[in-house]
Amino acid sequence: MSITPPGVSSKDFSDALKQFEETVGKEWVFTSDEDVALYRDAYSPFWGEPEERVASAAVAPYTVEQVQAVMKTANEYKIPVYPISTGKNLGYGGSAPNLSGSVVLDLKRMNRILNVDERDASALVEPGVSYFDLYRHIQDRKLKLWVDVPDPGWGSPVGNSLDHGGGYLQPMYRNHFDSHCGMEVVLANGEVMRTGMGAMPGAQSWQQYKFGFGPWIDGMFSQSNFGVVTKMGFWLMPEPDAYLTGTVSVPRYEDLIPMIDILTLLENSGISNGMPGLGSPILGGFMMPQRAPEVTAMLQKDGVESPELHKYAQDKGIPFWSCTVKFYGPEKAIRAQWEYAQEKFSAIAGAKFKDDEFYKFPLTPDQFNKVHKPEMGIPSLEMFSIGARSPYNPTPGQGHIWFSPIIPRTGEAVLEANKVFAKAAKDFGLPLLSFSLPTTYWMRSFIFLFGFPITHDVATNKKNRETFKQVVKVAAEHGWGEYRTAPAFQDAVMDTYSFNNHALRRFHETVKDAVDPNGIISAGRYGIWPKHLRGNKPGGEKA
Amino acid sequence: MASRREFLQAGIAASVLPLAVAGGSVAPTRRGNDAHFYKVIFDERFPASVSYGDEWKARGAEVHAIHGDITDLWFHDLDHEWKKQPVAIAGLTAHGALFCLERLAWDHGMRVISRVEQGAHDGDGEPLISWVIAPKQKSGVRA
Repeated sequence: MSITPPGVSSKDFSDALKQFEETVGKEWVFTSDEDVALYRDAYSPFWGEPEERVASAAVAPYTVEQVQAVMKTANEYKIPVYPISTGKNLGYGGSAPNLSGSVVLDLKRMNRILNVDERDASALVEPGVSYFDLYRHIQDRKLKLWVDVPDPGWGSPVGNSLDHGGGYLQPMYRNHFDSHCGMEVVLANGEVMRTGMGAMPGAQSWQQYKFGFGPWIDGMFSQSNFGVVTKMGFWLMPEPDAYLTGTVSVPRYEDLIPMIDILTLLENSGISNGMPGLGSPILGGFMMPQRAPEVTAMLQKDGVESPELHKYAQDKGIPFWSCTVKFYGPEKAIRAQWEYAQEKFSAIAGAKFKDDEFYKFPLTPDQFNKVHKPEMGIPSLEMFSIGARSPYNPTPGQGHIWFSPIIPRTGEAVLEANKVFAKAAKDFGLPLLSFSLPTTYWMRSFIFLFGFPITHDVATNKKNRETFKQVVKVAAEHGWGEYRTAPAFQDAVMDTYSFNNHALRRFHETVKDAVDPNGIISAGRYGIWPKHLRGNKPGGEKA
Repeated sequence: MASRREFLQAGIAASVLPLAVAGGSVAPTRRGNDAHFYKVIFDERFPASVSYGDEWKARGAEVHAIHGDITDLWFHDLDHEWKKQPVAIAGLTAHGALFCLERLAWDHGMRVISRVEQGAHDGDGEPLISWVIAPKQKSGVRA
């Protein structure tokens, strides 16, 4: 093997690996370069550099008891372990650890779907269960349930929700951590704990009531390193009768502000209950009409605030903004909801409306092939076929990392963020986007998703890493924080959550020291380092 | 590119696998589908890939067309088959399809044992890659 865990002697590492083999079986401990290489992050911004975060070995337990035994061995020998579920959160780190030399605790073999209850629309699964597995389980049994899936959908509900991933269905499901209910955690000392109602032996409502009794601590196991989650409950969406989408378009640049206010009101009131889509017919872009060359010229000259551009849009009758509103529910109800939405948007002078999609479920085969599958709760890998070279992506790289700041859910914030990021792009030599619109995963906030390309060129990756950190700082100076990031940038992002001299990070560290005193679980994950590595963060660049 | 050792570990007799390791593509032999691929995958968007699929079909291979996306192939076919046993597949596709299949194959103890870039499919677009995914040696099979 090429590396050993930092601070661990070769003999101790060898002894620990032997104990891992005794626990899980020799064939489930991986030490060859070829096997360990599979845990590299395909989208690593350090690809091929000495700082690339790589594992020393991997161990794949099959049961909770085996996880407990592995943790006890890791504690005994102070072996850093890095739990993964399916390890496919590409763009946010994949299956590679924060700390080089960690042993990946690969939970893929723990792939049991323990319960799916159609009556209360819930599931209880292990970490190795993928969205495809859960979808298949439901389809095979003809249950009237939908799983809210991310896109692509080959990850796991446990891993995705713990990393704060999102989907495409109704708001209470598309925030995947919000839609979980109860978890089982193996702690660093090997003890098993259940949260919520699961803390009561024989609990009858583990997947029905989140909070149990006392402090609700589930959040402490997301984006963290305080335990190994071995079971998690989820709320599923009952299959709706129908789905309807309609698009409102508004004529003027300044109409963005009332358009978003009305959209937010509709969502917060439960009238619009699908994931809306924002667009700009005049500026063009993905899923929009192609932009006219004269528009590009005006944008290059004066930016999106160009009076000439605004007049051009008015004269040509091309709407400046659009919003596709989506509804799940009984046909009568969602047609009425769309009608009500149109009434509200009519407050904007010149607003126009267009009926888009309408489907009843189950879909016909033709409809199935046509729809954006995640919006129907269907996992898909289709994006890998459109993410390659295309008119929108003429020079695809080897992958990407996401810069993904959260901003307020207002038109003013969208306009301000565009100004700030346009300046940052100019300052740092990034490709300048004329205008970007946020995505709408979360009900109460917007999120921008900017992809930074990953290449296999060391100099380019180095420049992109530095630029990424600069953009994180610029965003933070305006009060916009990243919601999630790859290990290479977790320290830099955590540094921006610095209220009262980093009180939050100090609290995290206090908890870490208490629940994992040897610092064996996912050292450095989300900026939480164990005491012995604090201030001397190995395995990569400093924040 | 697979070394000879890896190639032999794949459990496919090298003498009957028509694999031109030194820079060629995986093409059918005159002797038919004697490589025993469970499926041969082609992408109907690319004429070169369609021709590849046609050639394999003419030799008696089971071929499967994709249109860029491998989801249906995975969900309705390979996931079932690979849960029963790891079986070899080959293809001539764009990078995205191979990227997905390779990672899904890893979870079933499979590896890409040959990967040969064939050049841009239309002189300007994305390169096509001919590839073989086959079982890894038993002693190292991964979850």
